[in-house]
Amino acid sequence: MALGLIAGFFVLTPAPSATAADDDTFTVALTDEVDSLNPFLGVLANSYEMWAMTYNFMVGYSMKDMSPQPELATKWETSPDGKTWTFHIRDDVKWTDGQQLTAADIAYTYNRVLHGTVEANNWSSYLNNVTSVTAPDAGTVVLKLSRANAVLPLLPIPIVPEHIWKNVSEKAMKSFGNAPTPGHPIVGSGPYILEEGKTGGSTFKFVANKNYWDGAPHVEHVDFRVFKSTDPAVQALIKGEADFVDDITALQVRALKGKDGITAGNNISPLFEEIGFNTGAVDTKTNKPIGDANPAVLDPKFRHALGYAVDLDRIVKSAFQGAATPGSTVVPSPYTTWHWNPPDDEKFSFDLDKAGQLLDEAGYKKGSDGKRTLPNGKPIAPLRLFSRSDSEFSTNIMNFLKEWLADLGIDSKVTAMDSGKLGDVILSGEFDLFQWDWYVEPDPDGILADFTCDQRGGLSDSWYCDKDYDAMYKQQNGEMDKAKRIEIVKAMQQKLYEDSPYIVVAETTQGQAVRTDRFACFQPQPDPGGVWLIQYGGHNYNQFRPTSQAGDCDGVASALGASSSSSTKSSDDGGGSNAAAWIAGGVVVIALVGGGVLLLRRRSTAAERE
Amino acid sequence: MSTANPARTSAQLLRARRMAALKANWKLFRASRWGVIGLVVLVLFILVAVFAPLLADPEGLQVTKATGGILEPPSKEYWLGTDENGRSILTLLIWGSRISLFVGLCATVISMVIGTLVGLMSGFFEGWPAAILFRITEWFLVIPYLPLALILATVMGRSLFTISFVIGLTSWPATALLIRAQVLSIKERPYLERARVLGAGRWRQMSRHVLPNVTPMIFANTTLTVAGAILLETTLSFLGLGDPTRISWGSMLESAFAVGAMTTGAWWYIVPPGVCVVIVVLAFTLVGQALEEVFNPRLRGSR
Amino acid sequence: MTAVVTNAPAPPVARRRTYLSYVGSKVLGAFGSLCFVLVLNFFLFRVLPGDPARTLGRGRFRTEAQLEAFRHTYGLDQSLPHQFVTYVGNTLTGHLGVSLRYRVPVSELISERLGTTLLLVGSSTILAMVIGVYIGMIGAWNRGGPFDRFSTGSTLTLYSMPEWWLGLILIAVFAVGIGPFPGLFPTGGLHSLDVDPNSLQGWIDTAWHLTLPVLTLTLAFLAEYSLVMRSSLLDELGEDYLTTARAKGLRDVDVRRRHAARNALLPTTTLSAISLGYVVSGAITIETVFSIPGLGLLAQEALSIPDYWVLQGTFLVAAAGVILANLIANLLYGVLDPRVRS
Repeated sequence: MALGLIAGFFVLTPAPSATAADDDTFTVALTDEVDSLNPFLGVLANSYEMWAMTYNFMVGYSMKDMSPQPELATKWETSPDGKTWTFHIRDDVKWTDGQQLTAADIAYTYNRVLHGTVEANNWSSYLNNVTSVTAPDAGTVVLKLSRANAVLPLLPIPIVPEHIWKNVSEKAMKSFGNAPTPGHPIVGSGPYILEEGKTGGSTFKFVANKNYWDGAPHVEHVDFRVFKSTDPAVQALIKGEADFVDDITALQVRALKGKDGITAGNNISPLFEEIGFNTGAVDTKTNKPIGDANPAVLDPKFRHALGYAVDLDRIVKSAFQGAATPGSTVVPSPYTTWHWNPPDDEKFSFDLDKAGQLLDEAGYKKGSDGKRTLPNGKPIAPLRLFSRSDSEFSTNIMNFLKEWLADLGIDSKVTAMDSGKLGDVILSGEFDLFQWDWYVEPDPDGILADFTCDQRGGLSDSWYCDKDYDAMYKQQNGEMDKAKRIEIVKAMQQKLYEDSPYIVVAETTQGQAVRTDRFACFQPQPDPGGVWLIQYGGHNYNQFRPTSQAGDCDGVASALGASSSSSTKSSDDGGGSNAAAWIAGGVVVIALVGGGVLLLRRRSTAAERE
Repeated sequence: MSTANPARTSAQLLRARRMAALKANWKLFRASRWGVIGLVVLVLFILVAVFAPLLADPEGLQVTKATGGILEPPSKEYWLGTDENGRSILTLLIWGSRISLFVGLCATVISMVIGTLVGLMSGFFEGWPAAILFRITEWFLVIPYLPLALILATVMGRSLFTISFVIGLTSWPATALLIRAQVLSIKERPYLERARVLGAGRWRQMSRHVLPNVTPMIFANTTLTVAGAILLETTLSFLGLGDPTRISWGSMLESAFAVGAMTTGAWWYIVPPGVCVVIVVLAFTLVGQALEEVFNPRLRGSR
Repeated sequence: MTAVVTNAPAPPVARRRTYLSYVGSKVLGAFGSLCFVLVLNFFLFRVLPGDPARTLGRGRFRTEAQLEAFRHTYGLDQSLPHQFVTYVGNTLTGHLGVSLRYRVPVSELISERLGTTLLLVGSSTILAMVIGVYIGMIGAWNRGGPFDRFSTGSTLTLYSMPEWWLGLILIAVFAVGIGPFPGLFPTGGLHSLDVDPNSLQGWIDTAWHLTLPVLTLTLAFLAEYSLVMRSSLLDELGEDYLTTARAKGLRDVDVRRRHAARNALLPTTTLSAISLGYVVSGAITIETVFSIPGLGLLAQEALSIPDYWVLQGTFLVAAAGVILANLIANLLYGVLDPRVRS
């Protein structure tokens, strides 16, 4: 049918050019958007990547476990009371327009966050308790605090040039796109210079900053292209239109592993998926209960018992196609320093008998009909399990849970909704259980804060509130002795594990793939096993290089494509070409439908012919 | 005699006339080879949907009970392969026909009811009520219908009924305009004028004279609307706005696209649901066209 | 799909009117529709679930003060009536507000994407129109012939196909490449990154990128034109005056060209004018499948925030496009077929 038309189009089209074949341009296929090039405005992960290429942090992240490490600041000291921080700034950093980057730029950036409104939105939480930021000389930044803040020196705020940004007024800031115009690239200090791209656009073009203080990048151009869905992005990688693709599915990773010249992996990323409970919603002003939570989920013992009714391995295998690891606490295991690993006798194992026994002990006994009742003997109303319809995993996880709850003698019903709507529902307190995820930052303070009483009605979605926990939170936040702080942080995780406002289901991964036949030397973060790009900071951008020049990647043995490293190339593909033939079969089916119409029509109208 | 028992006689007469008309129409319909083929295909699909529990075990729909491997190609055990959760595609396809057809039909009923009511009223009434109805109809037509459907689906949530409602709510204006045009032309006919002179009220005029006259139009239009509704359901599901706890052909295609069926080469996941949609929609369209020809003599022989 | 019937002629009015007053009433009607759309759009989006400050601030805005600051900056803390007045005032002065997601003026976002959408949907619509009308015409003239059977069969099949599914299959065949077909075309995007889009090479490159999406949309739109054209031409061919014309001794070709085809184009013209109006609505599904940043996707992505001002802006532009096209269609109709004026 339409094939004739298609054939016509072939004649008209130019021969395809292999766009990314040359090794002076590295093309990244993104599957999510860049929402702003202005570091004071954007919120999406890919926007951070744009800033990481353009700007620097005062204190950066290590590749091993994202702990603080020198970047613009070479070293720093703290006063004994933790209220004064002094940072010593490099003197060899220049902005890409040739001006010197000094402590004044850093102080300027932080002060905009401290004293601005729009600017404060994205970053003010990192400057908690900070009362003033000054630059006594070009090489020193001093932070004064009202109270010690253990999260410092982690300050993931991109440093912007004062001489450019002083022209952006507070009022203009709210809609300042920070986009380059022809001949006027964005002035930054990072490994690459943004030459082309627009907020919400689909292409972003960078050129190497040859004078980069940490060593010039090895590849002249880096281009980003935003795809609206993952499959075309993966196809672009296979065809060589792209060299790197981020955020692809586990199945795509599996399919790519068999392809020559491509290395694909499900890389560690500090993200967890949880089943959350309504632990008691309240009106934050009056402290009166709101919503209609099932009395059972308000009971920590009930919640904790359910921890034994969730088969994490099964969920990892089925819902995540194996591209995840079973979860445990709210501080993911890649943060080895902070993560509390539950000992075997406390750790949830899939054991419905044990779950039943715990429920019996807590008073949720089985009635004559095999259904469990509340301790007061009344039946447990069916639990409402809310999943997010915009997540591919969410509804499946809840479906599994429903099944296991049924085995325990508890009825439940899964309802899927848009995450915006789920947010509204959680705020109203009209839910029992929900499924969501969190991206956890390198310092555990953020995720731990989400369970404090203050965050109820804010970032807390479980409405958890416990005095002891709040006290520990406050203590760790001001504890300047790291060993002691680690201890408190671990105790807090243990507390959450017992009270179970969340059952952490899985630590998920980020599917990524690289054309290793063209480019190499991507060091994972965390190392080993972490993501190759879209990391904390832009470390890899002046490290990666054409494969032909890879060698031993300057001695970073863990880097992708370093002479000895070899990634697993499974041979579970094979279906590709024969599958493709089958798609052609589908086209034939459709052609047949059209053709069938043709044939039958011929018969029917033959009589009417003139 | 006619004065003795007029109601009964006229009722009998009416029934006889209707039967005759029905027979004549069926004959006309049968003459359209295409309509008949469409009808046969539809009956087949409806049978599959109705007898789904006999054809495939509903346990096969549950992710938790899946037995197959991940995205296995067709085999003796799984005739159309498996999906990313290890479920048989054939089972999904069979059960999906239920949801796709149910939503299509349900949405059509809603669309027809709204469309007919608004069409009748805006054609029959005059002055500002008609003007307001016309404006509302027009608003639904000028607003891009897919984004509107997306918004309504976001607002109303994702049960089967709300999705049907969303589709019904976005697809009625076409019917309304069609009915309105019919009513306007019928209104000018002499017998209605006679009825008016004889003192028939508006509702009586509408229910006794106008409605029976536009019914065939509505009927033919219905089949075409089902075709549109099934397509829209597929598209909404593809854009992730279907009911995620149910399997329809559209949601199958959505998952297929989301897991990257093209890259993984899982043709068995992406081709069959699409082909089913095409066949069913085509069948509805063919039947609808044949019915239009039956009820609208002007069209007869023009196709 | 709904476009077919939008060309229902204006309600018949008993008294005769001049063309000028006809134009006047149509323009006034269009303006009325626009005002109605303006008002309804505002309230439609306010019922969307979700709070932009919370959606955007998830994990970021740690204090109530941060949430409040965000709401204040973008005018979300004002009362609804206040916001409505601001919205109407702004729209009248040509400001469409600042996008909550991208934090740039909505008018900037829309104007950037308008070109892409016009290129994609506009060229497909025009291609579909030309090819569809031609196919319909040939089919009607050779009614029952092999071409007619072939074209009606395949257009009906295309009409029954979800256009994005066709797009997926076309990508699989012609972009990914299957067996005998090499993957000739790119899988998505608007242009190659290493080509300057403003050079001749860049234009060729863009055309090459747009081939598959435009082909998909053209095939999807085609059916409507060819079916409408075919049936209206068949109607005309059956009209009495044509028999008269033939009886007068005019050659068949002349009859077709001078009379039938011209009259039959009337419904197609209105259909075309209205379809052109829908061009600015974009094509969400095709934009998704082929990763083309057009207006349709802009609207769809704004839903999850919800980004009120982007939604209002895109819907206003889309509705204005359709209303304007309707107006033009009505005016054209008035010129082409004086009967509707009376």
